[in-house]
Amino acid sequence: MKLRPTAPFSHPAWRLLPGLGIASALLLLATAGLGALLWEASLPDVSQLWGSRYLRTVITFTVWQAFLSVLLSLLVAVPVARMLARQPAFPGRGGLLRLMELSLVLPSIVAVSGLVSVYGRQGWFTGIASDWLNVSWNIYGINGIVLAHVFFNAPLAARILLQAIESAPASQRRAAAQLGLGRWWYWRAVEWPAVRPVLPGLAALVFTLCFTSFAIVMTLGGGPSATTIEVAIYQALRFEFDGSQAALLAVVQLLICGFLWWLAARYGLTASLLPDRRVASHSSRAGRSFWSRLTDGLALGVFALFLVMPLAAILLRGLPGMGSAFFPQGSFSVNPALLDATLRSLAIALPAGLMSVGAALLILASGTATSRSTIRRVTDVTAYLPLMIPPLVLGTGLFLLFRPSLGNSSEGLVLVTLINAMMALPFVLQMLRGPLGRLDSASRQQADQLGILGWYRWRWLHWPRMRRPLALSMAYGTGLSLGDFGVIALFGSPGQPTLPVLLYQQLGSYRVDAAAATGLWLVLLLLLLFSVFNLLGASRLSLRRTANSPRTVQEPEHA
Amino acid sequence: MLTRAFTLLFLTLIAVPAFAQSTPTLTIYTHPSFAADWGPGPAVKDAFEKTCDCQVRYVVLSSGGDILQRLRLEGKSTQADLVLGLDTGTMENSRQTGLLGHHETDLSALDLPINWQDPVFVPYDWGYFAFVYDTEQLPNPPESLDALIAAPDDLKIIIQDPRTSTPGLGLLLWMRHVYGDQASAMWQQLKDKILTTTKSWSDGYYSLFMSGEAPLILSYSTSPAYHMAVDNTDRYQAVAFEEGHYLQVEVAALVQSSDHKELARDFLEFMLTPDFQRHIPLKNVMYPATDLGDELPEVFSHLIQPSEARYFDPKTVTDNRRQWLNEWLDAMTR
Repeated sequence: MKLRPTAPFSHPAWRLLPGLGIASALLLLATAGLGALLWEASLPDVSQLWGSRYLRTVITFTVWQAFLSVLLSLLVAVPVARMLARQPAFPGRGGLLRLMELSLVLPSIVAVSGLVSVYGRQGWFTGIASDWLNVSWNIYGINGIVLAHVFFNAPLAARILLQAIESAPASQRRAAAQLGLGRWWYWRAVEWPAVRPVLPGLAALVFTLCFTSFAIVMTLGGGPSATTIEVAIYQALRFEFDGSQAALLAVVQLLICGFLWWLAARYGLTASLLPDRRVASHSSRAGRSFWSRLTDGLALGVFALFLVMPLAAILLRGLPGMGSAFFPQGSFSVNPALLDATLRSLAIALPAGLMSVGAALLILASGTATSRSTIRRVTDVTAYLPLMIPPLVLGTGLFLLFRPSLGNSSEGLVLVTLINAMMALPFVLQMLRGPLGRLDSASRQQADQLGILGWYRWRWLHWPRMRRPLALSMAYGTGLSLGDFGVIALFGSPGQPTLPVLLYQQLGSYRVDAAAATGLWLVLLLLLLFSVFNLLGASRLSLRRTANSPRTVQEPEHA
Repeated sequence: MLTRAFTLLFLTLIAVPAFAQSTPTLTIYTHPSFAADWGPGPAVKDAFEKTCDCQVRYVVLSSGGDILQRLRLEGKSTQADLVLGLDTGTMENSRQTGLLGHHETDLSALDLPINWQDPVFVPYDWGYFAFVYDTEQLPNPPESLDALIAAPDDLKIIIQDPRTSTPGLGLLLWMRHVYGDQASAMWQQLKDKILTTTKSWSDGYYSLFMSGEAPLILSYSTSPAYHMAVDNTDRYQAVAFEEGHYLQVEVAALVQSSDHKELARDFLEFMLTPDFQRHIPLKNVMYPATDLGDELPEVFSHLIQPSEARYFDPKTVTDNRRQWLNEWLDAMTR
């Protein structure tokens, strides 16, 4: 390779400006959306917020259930991630990872139907618990809300934590392995330093997701005492046509979640610059003994069951309808409506995934290009805005701004794609932040001295170690858009539905079997998507690893 | 990957039918169950296009409430010529936007349980809210609201939230119509029998009721018609309450700012002919707005016949619903 004197995109501004531009655009969009709503309505009466017992209960409840959900999700995720890191090779590990990736992107109505079949009043688990263990369990109430939130978020958290632990500096891991550190010391010396920088952001992410939860909270909450701020916003906007109340509540939500992100950005995210040189990796000894394999195996088995059972219920429920979806006249041919919906969904989801990954990379690049921590934090927090502003508020606000020009069918699809990309951005960012920040300073300096900048720097320094995280974030970005119902429902679809819209259409007209089949098909499609992206991300890397890593060498038998 | 994704996107965009500019296009805002492939939408579109030199285009919004919201947001610049899918709960708010015009349609063919003389809204179907029960789980359901409220607390029911769902609001009005100022006290007694209050009818019906989580769910009196005619099962039936049932009427109206008002009026007139109405019973699973005679599917004769149609006029609903809702919230969270 011959380096030209100036590499493409090597000017420092190329690293700083595009990301900054995207961040400002997001900020502008959010302010404009909220502002338009406030402008249209009269200024809200803030005292009314604190005066109303109902609104106070809503805010307290929202914070409480989100707090519990975060706590439990992380309590599950940290041990699971450690065990998965300790046991780098066991049959079904890849499958378990795919399932973990899947849970977050499942459309909530599909996931809830699965959860209810297992933990509901007539569920399998409930039956076993009351017959064998004599435990009475009721899913309706805070139990169910937290259970569902753990189902959605613990696997996501474990997945991100696993990635963090696996990318812990090899030098540390090697030293720890040579010293024969026990579990506790291994945790102190290797795992905790790897996990700590990711944890605040992760907690903020899960908190925001649970804080803004809507349909799950209502379905499993048991009654109106389980009302989140999102529900109250919906009520204000759609039921009472009270734009100012909705905007006021949205601001409250933004303040609470935004404050958490600010804290996370301050205490966590910037500390993630750990050195990492690419050397052969060593796994800890802690995971090698028979007992640790047995206990890890059992615990991971329980976790896998927790994920698999609801999916099995979705499978069982969907099978009867699959017949008419794939064999309409006895011979194999995909139901055209289902096929069209699938293609349309992919046409929205793939570009959306690509855009979100691109935007996330640019935002991260601008974060590393500036030494001013304020700019960095602002860009960071801004990227999470799409999660904090209720889509209904943002959508309504934007509608007020661009009133006449929206709603045309093809423009609508482009808009839906853009907004989906925006909604996926926070997740993608969370996945890419660690790996991108972890390039060690020695390599950086060498690269600087050699003048490896711009495109070449990206191609030769970052790409080889980013390939896998990029594939995973592409899968999440696409998967999130594929399962999305909210955005497309908000902007109205032309006559032709996407997969989730088709599902809701079928549900709305009593076509229960067909809906269950569409749900199952969506789950299978998501699983396929994650597997394909996993293969794309792993192919070259795994070859290299086989060549020079002791990790894949046959481990000594202990039993 | 990139090229493939964009090719797909491009293909989808051109697959969106290009509308011929020579013939006028009637744009109708409606909700998903009307416009679905198996709903009345496609058949109605074909039938109407045969009578007019025009194209019908549906813009699908997720519910009647969303149609109203979209209309409010777009104001006079809306591209809608007609809105179809509002109901007695959203009617008055829609009227107050001032964006809808008079229909000037002859309403004499209407066959509703109440007398209908509205200058703006034309009904296209109607039904009663009712509790649907699973005959295998609950052979003897309570036969009145009183009996339901007095039933032991281990009888569980699923309802929908009046803040987010049409049947949910229907039950709120039903209770208010039957019990008046006593409604809150009755809700408090009913409270412990409510398994959960879902966001939408679909959430409750699909995720919970069809999974056997509770034997009774708030739905429509016409729901069993679908199960009997299409699923061929008698398992799910509606129970007739002695106090009578709350009535829902679904309506359409023309948009004042439309360039195709004549066409929209033609459509409203067409709406009350058998060519439109015959698709309602099984495709929308509601009662047709006109008398279909022999064309009414046989299963409709097996449905419950409420003794009284409970109904508040839409203005009363709009004037009171905020207060009634707050009283409900208060009773349910106390």
